[in-house]
Amino acid sequence: MTLRLNTDFAAGLFGLLFAAVLWLPREGMGRLSIIFPRAILVIMVALSLALIVKAFIKPAARQVEIEGDPRRLVIMIVVLFVWWYAIDLLGFLVATAIVFFGLTWYLAHIEGPVPVRRLVQWVPVVAVLIGAFYLAFTEVLSVRLPSGIWS
Amino acid sequence: MDMLLEALFSILTLEGLVTILAGVTAGLFIGALPGLTATMALAVLLPFTFTMSPLQGLMALGAVYMGAIYGGAFTAILINTPGTPSSIATTFDGYPMARQGRAYEALAAATIASVVGGIIGVAFLLLLAPPLARLAVVFGPAEMFWVALLGLTLVASLSSGSLLKGLLGGCIGMLLSTIGVSPIGGETRFIFGIPALQGGIELIVALIGLFVIPELISMAAQGRGALPESGKLQGGAGAAIGRMGRHIFGKPINLIRSCIIGQIIAIIPGAGGNVTSLVAYNEARRFSKDPSSFGKGNVDGVIASESSNNVMVAGSMVPLLTLGIPGAPPDAIILGVLLMHGLRPGLDLFTETGVLTNGFILSMGFAAMFLLPVGLLGGRLIHRVVVKTPFYFLLPSIAMVTILGTYALRNSMTDVFIMLLLGTVGYFLRLIGIQAAPIVLGMILGVIAEKGYVQTMLVAVVDPIPWLRLVANPLSIVLACLVVLSVATTLLPGWLERSGRMAKVDSDEEKTS
Repeated sequence: MTLRLNTDFAAGLFGLLFAAVLWLPREGMGRLSIIFPRAILVIMVALSLALIVKAFIKPAARQVEIEGDPRRLVIMIVVLFVWWYAIDLLGFLVATAIVFFGLTWYLAHIEGPVPVRRLVQWVPVVAVLIGAFYLAFTEVLSVRLPSGIWS
Repeated sequence: MDMLLEALFSILTLEGLVTILAGVTAGLFIGALPGLTATMALAVLLPFTFTMSPLQGLMALGAVYMGAIYGGAFTAILINTPGTPSSIATTFDGYPMARQGRAYEALAAATIASVVGGIIGVAFLLLLAPPLARLAVVFGPAEMFWVALLGLTLVASLSSGSLLKGLLGGCIGMLLSTIGVSPIGGETRFIFGIPALQGGIELIVALIGLFVIPELISMAAQGRGALPESGKLQGGAGAAIGRMGRHIFGKPINLIRSCIIGQIIAIIPGAGGNVTSLVAYNEARRFSKDPSSFGKGNVDGVIASESSNNVMVAGSMVPLLTLGIPGAPPDAIILGVLLMHGLRPGLDLFTETGVLTNGFILSMGFAAMFLLPVGLLGGRLIHRVVVKTPFYFLLPSIAMVTILGTYALRNSMTDVFIMLLLGTVGYFLRLIGIQAAPIVLGMILGVIAEKGYVQTMLVAVVDPIPWLRLVANPLSIVLACLVVLSVATTLLPGWLERSGRMAKVDSDEEKTS
């Protein structure tokens, strides 16, 4: 998918917004804490303004190419955040089992319909994969993974 | 000399060699997992060494360190994810090579460069530890500030088309590094009332987010795996290794330069492997006859990055063993082990317990040599797994390891959220021309630059012109000149090309020939 967008302007605007967010809470900090971030903020604002000026005088690419299906792109982003939320809620094992299996099914679906027999074949593979990483992190690396509502 | 021979014989036992081999293998696989750093590999495997003799324990940890730093190259090349921060620069050309079906060539080049780098680092450590240690203490805050700026000139190389956007990315990274407690002032900055942000944004969290998540999103949108299946080896694995060996040793200047850069930066406490590989990469690009091919799959970029970061493993032991100052974070764990066995850094380490110290140093040389068989076999295995696994299994697997690795850093789901957020924003920033590399570079060097700058200003508070303290001694003047020279040599070709002068020179040369 191709979007019409002045990338210089977009980058400059993002820089200004980012600088504005960090500029506001700077009160109450001592000189030693603010001296460096303030210098970088000033440089950042100057760069952003330069990009905005350039966007009108000598703009770079005016279109942005999004490779692949934009709907899948959005779904993938949503799935990642749902996965994060579900781990906190349901614990690592349950949340990962559900999201991993669902994501695998969704992605395999791109190549064509997925018969139930194939889905059943995946169950032990997914279980071994998740189980191996779960045990490696909890038993070998001694990382206490979230257990969510089961704790 | 007698001590060195005695040390050599003490490690050349079956038990010693097996320990090194096991250490390299364990380090390699931990280092290859995104989020698990060399420091973490050492920390995790440390308890296993408690039952060993002091020499065997140190040998195991040295081998783990060497293997973990090298292991970071695997995922950097195969899935564009630096396993450890010191392999960030490996992704710049390693992954494009893999996408072109030259993954094994990149892995072979990384392996050979790592082996040579590791051995050279050990040689430096054995021969030059005392004089190099004296150099380490010359680097004060002002010099560190200039070293950071020298690294930041790399932004120009990583900008891919727009210098302004590259610099903007660098600023974003530097500002992200200021979130949390100020290193000098001690106040919290930019945390917006969120206590979890007090510890700042971990470099690894940002690294995983900015490099892995955009790639995962892109793979899902395109319905593809990390690497094309067409990536078959031309003439087999042996031929690829031979080609890379001839390339590296046929023109060894890149390797030598990267090793020297790696050694110099390694002895500066606090700089670490992240900076060494970035500076070495930048210099490889600057001195290359074809700098425009860097970032598009030039194997010299992989060689520069991997040789310099493995020189750093033994190189960073110089200030550790002589002055007790860890040159890089994993060295702090080695220092702990030394102290645990009653060994105090300093001259005594090379005289009274010389057999043990030299044995430890030599074992790192053997660990570097073991990288060759272990790395080439392991590389082939992981390459095959990445290429052969269907993308619908590979993608959730990478996502799961990414989440686990990020969480394991500080047992924090907030870190996982920050990683996902940075990754998503990073994907859209990439679309408008702000790449991940300058942002990460800003994060790494911002901390060093801030500490150097603020400490210098603090010392110069009574000076009439405080900032002149930044160029108050010969070493800082030399480093400042190097920064100016670096900026000039990076910007000049582009300016000459735009103004038409470069084309004119080229055409004049063609006419005369």
